[in-house]
Amino acid sequence: MPMNYAYHPGNVAHSSAQEVDDTVFPAAKTLGINLIPLEGATSCGAGIIRQANRRLQLTLNARTFAMAEELGLEIVTPCATTAGTLFEDLTTLRSNPNLLAEVNNVLMETCGKTFTGETEVRHLLHVIVEEVGLDKLSASVKNPIGFSVAGHYGPNIQRKGACGNDDVFQPNYLERVINALGGNPVSLSYRTQSVGVPSLLSEESTALKQAAAVLSEAKNEGAEMLVSICTLSHAVLDVYQVKAGKISGENTSLPVIHFTEMLAFSMGHFNTRLAQLKTRVSVIGN
Amino acid sequence: MTDDVVSFLSDGDRSLHILFGSQSGNSEDLAVKFGKRAKSYGLESTVHDMDGFDIASLASMSRVLVICSTWGEGEQPDNAEELWNAANGDGAPSLSNTHFSVCALGDTSYELFCESGKEWDKRFEELGGTRLVDRVDCDVDYDAPSAIWTESVLAHMAAVDGNGTFQPELVESIIAEMEGSGESSVEGDDGFVIPVLESPEIQVKVRVFRYDPQSDERGHDEWACVLNGNISVLEVLRSIKSTEDGSLTFRDGSLHDPTTVICANGRPILPGITRIDSVISSNSDSNFLNLEPIVIGEVIRDLVTDLTISDIRRASTKPWFRGATRDGAKVRDAVIGTMSSDDAKKVHMVRDMISTVLVDSFSDTVPYNEAYISPSNVLSSWSRIIDPRVSKTSLTENLDLLSSDVGIKAETDLSSISRHGEMGETVADYMLDAKTRVLRNGAFQDGRHGKYVWWYTWSVKMSGKVNDTTIYRQVLGPLGLVGNLFSGVTARMVLGFTRTGGKMFNGLLGMVAPPAGVGKMPKQFNTPVLNHHEVVAIFNEVDGGF
Ligand SMILES: Cc1cc2nc3c(=O)[nH]c(=O)nc-3n(C[C@H](O)[C@H](O)[C@H](O)COP(=O)(O)O)c2cc1C
Repeated sequence: MPMNYAYHPGNVAHSSAQEVDDTVFPAAKTLGINLIPLEGATSCGAGIIRQANRRLQLTLNARTFAMAEELGLEIVTPCATTAGTLFEDLTTLRSNPNLLAEVNNVLMETCGKTFTGETEVRHLLHVIVEEVGLDKLSASVKNPIGFSVAGHYGPNIQRKGACGNDDVFQPNYLERVINALGGNPVSLSYRTQSVGVPSLLSEESTALKQAAAVLSEAKNEGAEMLVSICTLSHAVLDVYQVKAGKISGENTSLPVIHFTEMLAFSMGHFNTRLAQLKTRVSVIGN
Repeated sequence: MTDDVVSFLSDGDRSLHILFGSQSGNSEDLAVKFGKRAKSYGLESTVHDMDGFDIASLASMSRVLVICSTWGEGEQPDNAEELWNAANGDGAPSLSNTHFSVCALGDTSYELFCESGKEWDKRFEELGGTRLVDRVDCDVDYDAPSAIWTESVLAHMAAVDGNGTFQPELVESIIAEMEGSGESSVEGDDGFVIPVLESPEIQVKVRVFRYDPQSDERGHDEWACVLNGNISVLEVLRSIKSTEDGSLTFRDGSLHDPTTVICANGRPILPGITRIDSVISSNSDSNFLNLEPIVIGEVIRDLVTDLTISDIRRASTKPWFRGATRDGAKVRDAVIGTMSSDDAKKVHMVRDMISTVLVDSFSDTVPYNEAYISPSNVLSSWSRIIDPRVSKTSLTENLDLLSSDVGIKAETDLSSISRHGEMGETVADYMLDAKTRVLRNGAFQDGRHGKYVWWYTWSVKMSGKVNDTTIYRQVLGPLGLVGNLFSGVTARMVLGFTRTGGKMFNGLLGMVAPPAGVGKMPKQFNTPVLNHHEVVAIFNEVDGGF
């Protein structure tokens, strides 16, 4: 029996993080997870739209929740920012019946939809650890990862209720997954620290110092690669790493991939990409 | 209790009168709480609102406590004003029979700290009253200091006999009796004593960060302990220090002392009020308590960090309040309206929760930007902005501070704050209000912050999805794009430098071409989401500005 979930791709899987879009479907399929795309879902707002207008972000996300409820499914996403943001907004709406009613009015008027608050939001990481199970995950591995990998969670889902049964401040799900995939997990003290995504373009220098702290800790702790569970943090840690190194004076040069890539590669999807990754790890990973 | 003390505590007039001057309820709550506590000392308490209290009746009262806050700019709360005028008028009685003590509530960030309490203290003395216990001046974290004051003041008041004469030699034995009776001062909100709950003993491995400045050595020490799950982290540290290693250094203090903040298993806590079983990780099989210094300020030794940076941050904000009455008369009518209780509650919620160091250590930005005034000061400033009694000058000053580069815009990620429980959520909530206000003030086109938020939101309206290229182009402008070209950012984006063979970044053209005219989005990028018209309809309904 496949497990069905309503799939939200996160914010940039369609554009600057297409590798997530490429890898998430084959990886999920291998694990018996059936991702049903929420074709109409919008960006979750990433904590940015709400800076302009809280109600706007809430209503847009309420529309996404209503669509998941129409499908009768829980929402799953490979992006920690999206999982965290949707979780926050869902909690806000659920805990405030008046607000929920007002938002539902607008939804009805504009889209002919309402929602009850019955759906749930989960990150793919939690579905894998809690529903699929690490044994099944290990059994699906064709190419064990085989090197030292540090994980980065970021702050968005590390809050009570949003990280399943994992510890809020000292999570280990990602390290356990790395281990199950044949990698050697490196646990970072900065693993839940923000890399400043909501202010990347406006407070670049601070955000890049935050990113540099994560990358350099990973390097110092002997990681040969970093894996991120957020499409946005992933982009910062990867695309901006040279600039982060320049601004902070730290050594930040490290291959960074997204969680879904690590899953797909270890399961034997995209072997050429894995070969490239191994080359990069051997060139800059240490 | 010994019989003679018992009979002393129940003989003759045992009345205690507690007067409160309170704007938003803190002093009133304390008055009620202390009134209930007074029973344990054999005192019959009556709590009086200063509003409507007859000044003449003070003369016949032998035991009086005054609990009073300060408002505006060093002014009496509204409900105290008339009594204060009466106490300074011709009809003020002689208080030669009255024993008194004052608990003043205030906030050290105001220029005139606890001014009203100081005034009452002085006035009671001038009218001939006898001060039994020195006044206590409480900052926003008033629970601990006021509780200590209460125990002392009640013991002294109880030692005033039924004829109104203070018997100093009895104070000690009353205190001893109270301690011996096992009646702890831990009381619930309703004044009922909360029974001390025993929790099971647990095996804990305690790991503590050590730093010795002389040798410049850093490392960790570990102790295996058997501890009761309900003891506080501070008690653990104290007992390690007294029984295992006298050189262990940490900030000790009262339960709520804001400077004692440390990190326990990855989260900043006040160790005096945090039970060890609430921070032990749910993940590990064995119980593990890892204690580290907070990341604000340099480590001086072990768990102690240099908090000067926090003082500098605070000082840089000129945090004192300017009431609207600054230049005007002290006449009540001249005040620009008193606060509605809702507003007062809001202002208080913002201000009272602050253990500044704790709140500041929630933020992942603070360690990386020294100029940032920090969340606690953002909140301070914000509480003044939403205070309807604030003067125009102060409003402008505070808005300017919050809008500046070192204000709310410097905080890079509110989710790093909101994940810290209820307190973190409330703090982040207010900070979000502040950020929205600042952005709306600048009409979104003022600098990168506004543009980032504006173009992000706008691009979602256009297709339902984020359009990174539009955002990059509009926010960074041609200069920023060229900068990224040279710093390798663009190359990594476009060439997928570290990417694993994914398609080239779509935005090649968008990244290098100069920004197109405002409002034009490169067509080739986002295909709109299904039923995109619904998204547009929501925007039009909720925020026509986009
Ligand atoms: C608008 C405003 C003005 C204040 N002015 C002062 C002041 O001048 N001096 C001071 O020490 N505290 C000042 N405070 C702090 C209050 O005295 C403090 O929050 C106290 O706990 C309030 O107690 P209450 O609820 O009993 O009124 C002010 C607080 C607010 C919100």
